[in-house]
Amino acid sequence: MADTFHTQIVSILPKLRVQALALTRNRAQSEDLVQDAVCNALNARDSFIPGTNFAAWMHRILRNRFISDLRKQRVTADIDDVPGELLSSKADHEDRLAVKDLGYALARLPDDQREALILVVLQGMSYQELAESTGCAVGTAKSRVFRARRQLEAWMTGDLPENDGLRQRASALREEVGRRQMAGNAARPSVSHG
Amino acid sequence: MSARDEKSVTAKKKSRKKGDDAFELWLRRGLHQLFDDVTKEPVPEELLRIIEADKDS
Repeated sequence: MADTFHTQIVSILPKLRVQALALTRNRAQSEDLVQDAVCNALNARDSFIPGTNFAAWMHRILRNRFISDLRKQRVTADIDDVPGELLSSKADHEDRLAVKDLGYALARLPDDQREALILVVLQGMSYQELAESTGCAVGTAKSRVFRARRQLEAWMTGDLPENDGLRQRASALREEVGRRQMAGNAARPSVSHG
Repeated sequence: MSARDEKSVTAKKKSRKKGDDAFELWLRRGLHQLFDDVTKEPVPEELLRIIEADKDS
């Protein structure tokens, strides 16, 4: 039984790391959060009822730990952390800028909406599982994902107030892409066919 | 509602659905690009040690 418990913890670590990064938006803080959550889970092992949803139990422990830490200290968001990681991705330049926009937009979502969106869209959790993992009603879980998706769509399609900083940043990035593409086309020798 | 209006509403709904699907695909792809690296990184040794130590205790 003990082996199963520890094996389950190790198996779920990748998902916990994603959830932690979704909540903290900072790599170092997310690693600390996962470690603290695992320690809490090990200490609270007796409260887990075998046969119930282990993943939901672990996600809930991590989330509670995050909230508890948040209450103790005002967490400062480091939105530069997320786009920085993109530099190592294999996506092409234009893709990277679009994903960078997405990184900025995600950072602006409320924590619970960002977490819900990532657990459902990226990790494939059902609304029922999300509700169990975050300790809310299924309707609330659905609503969080829906609002996050709608908000992101509005931001990413430019439906923002004129004085919005994100829009200005996104717009500057798009202009940079355009400029670089034009510069690239101008530098490329024209090839005549025939 | 006339048949023409109904057609127009259906076309608009289809177009919105297409847009939603495209955004959903783009969003999923973007999230993977942002978060996949995290899942591929090796688990910190210290964390594994903590789990192992608890298992042995």
